[in-house]
Amino acid sequence: MKKFLLAASVAGVALAGAAVELSAQTKPTIATVVKISGIPWFSRMEVGVKAFGSANPDVQASQSGPATADAAQQLKIIEDLTARRVNALAVVPMDPSVVEGALKRAMDRGIIVVTHEADNQRNTNADVEAFDNAAYGAALNERLAKCMGGQGKWTSFVGSLGSRTHIQWVDAGAANAKKYSGMTLVDEKNESFDDANKTYEKAKEILRKHPDIRGFQGSAGNDVLGIGRAIEEAGLQDKVCLVGTGLPNPSAQYLESGAIDAIGFWDPRDAGMAMNSVAKILLEKKPLADGMDLGVKGYEKVTVKKGPGQGQLIIGNAMVIADKATYKDHLF
Amino acid sequence: MKGRLDPQLVFLVLTNVGILAAGAWASGGVFIDPYNLQSMASQVPELGLLAIGVMLAMISGNGGIDLSGIALANLAGVTAALLVGGMISADDAPLLFSVAFGITAVAVGLAGGAVNGLLIAGSGLTPILCTLGTQLLFTGLAVVLSNGRAVSTGSPAPLEELGNGTFLQVPTSFLLFIAVAALIGMGLRFTPSGIRLLLMGTNPVAARFAGFAQGRMLVATYAISGALAGLAGVIIAARNVNVKWDYGGSYLLIAILIAVMAGVKPEGGHGRMICLLLSATALQLLSSFLNFLDVSNFFRDLAWGLLLLFFLAIIRYDALGALTSRIGWRARPEGAPAAGDAATKG
Repeated sequence: MKKFLLAASVAGVALAGAAVELSAQTKPTIATVVKISGIPWFSRMEVGVKAFGSANPDVQASQSGPATADAAQQLKIIEDLTARRVNALAVVPMDPSVVEGALKRAMDRGIIVVTHEADNQRNTNADVEAFDNAAYGAALNERLAKCMGGQGKWTSFVGSLGSRTHIQWVDAGAANAKKYSGMTLVDEKNESFDDANKTYEKAKEILRKHPDIRGFQGSAGNDVLGIGRAIEEAGLQDKVCLVGTGLPNPSAQYLESGAIDAIGFWDPRDAGMAMNSVAKILLEKKPLADGMDLGVKGYEKVTVKKGPGQGQLIIGNAMVIADKATYKDHLF
Repeated sequence: MKGRLDPQLVFLVLTNVGILAAGAWASGGVFIDPYNLQSMASQVPELGLLAIGVMLAMISGNGGIDLSGIALANLAGVTAALLVGGMISADDAPLLFSVAFGITAVAVGLAGGAVNGLLIAGSGLTPILCTLGTQLLFTGLAVVLSNGRAVSTGSPAPLEELGNGTFLQVPTSFLLFIAVAALIGMGLRFTPSGIRLLLMGTNPVAARFAGFAQGRMLVATYAISGALAGLAGVIIAARNVNVKWDYGGSYLLIAILIAVMAGVKPEGGHGRMICLLLSATALQLLSSFLNFLDVSNFFRDLAWGLLLLFFLAIIRYDALGALTSRIGWRARPEGAPAAGDAATKG
């Protein structure tokens, strides 16, 4: 028993020692809470949060997130940060509806709340979105049309039919394709469930069913990987065009081989910086105005409108469409 | 036995006090200001109720455990939100909605728990496999009912009061949790059924020959465990305004950790409610403490794993200690007196 107590108190003192700086803070703190720590997307966001912190020495910026993909764990982090009285929270909710209660409690305590990827969040001062979904879908399709020369059959993939943003993207894509009389949409909105293997099988089926297909537009992050593999195996890199949401590192191999013609995404580093920038503006009690510059690439002239709750919806123009020549600028 | 302090209890009290002191010192007092104490207290009930369910299942012995807790809590919340939300408007009749919501959720929990009990007692399924199966069943049902989406309960005044309100500065949900825990703890200690449950867990064979209605006791135990999960579902709904099928996936292991840390013996027959409460608060204090220090959440998983192994070792060690100091007391054939001993400790 004595040994246990000794060990426990030693551990306690060590932990507490690590935290002495905590009580010494006087600068306003902005705490970023992400869906899950340790995955490439949010590690990239942390790069942005840290960059913001060193560019703005008058605030303390940090990022945390649960180790498991569980909304309940993210909730607990938000509750504890609220109790710790950080000055602002920048949250990328695992599930916007589940954190409504916690964010309301934070706002009631006078904490500034900024969210991202949650344009339906009611309890937030401002939600930052990287781009307008319709504009993104149209831009992806425009790139596809350019590759196809405005001619031939094409199809689209979505993560699932319940995924709101994906449907917005492909619908905007379909509307854009109407500009080209030679482009025909066939078997649209195939469900990929963001699973590269399932997408691969589905893409092979489509290639068999429509031997003359000339284009694919993907939505979920793994769509381009599955479709790219099917195109590469069929040796159709030069004949079939593939454009979709994807990340530079995983897609690099297919971009090099030509199976993927272009990938679209937004850089979580910039999104993290933009969220923190908005939080700082709100902490300084400055207004958010339509067309203002957040000082972050892609967010130089943001659209500001009323959100679904009391807060505002801030939309940037931070989409990145990268191809073989340019993807190396955004390796993550 | 009466004169000797339970080392588990002493250790848990010291752990709670130690973390509070360390937190207060490291945060310059913010850790023990009323807001944080309230915030931590209101985070305890959902997990604590599930842990009581696990404890009851463990006490029943024969490898008893309940893995379906959080899945059942989500199912109860989703079913009640859909059913009651479809019939009563939360805005027009807030009191009626809240009461109906609570009753429905607890009833769904009770029914789900009874299914567990019937499967385990009736067909002799191993509890761990049976509740693993029903866990998937409950999760699946919740997905199908809600189409995989979150279901909103809105915030009618009584639910809002349960989720965010305080009574004499103590969060309402925490008071409810303490009341339920006290009720079950007294039931375990003072009622014949409670004592029989401890005895059955200690020695199922002796219990059978003593003519205990084991089947009925198992069904009742798992049904109560389910009802507690249903109540956890109500608290989750009250706090989050929404319920969703995949909420709290990590709770399963943490609930077991709380029970094991409280000294509940995985082999059955022993468990004290006061230790369970202190164990739940200790884990919450430690969790919040790590969040205050900005310690990586991966470290937390590591810490939980270490704690679980550490406490399992303590239980083992104590069992050995008891065996050497009072030879013969805990030998199997005389399991019944040893368990009676445990029962009087409650």
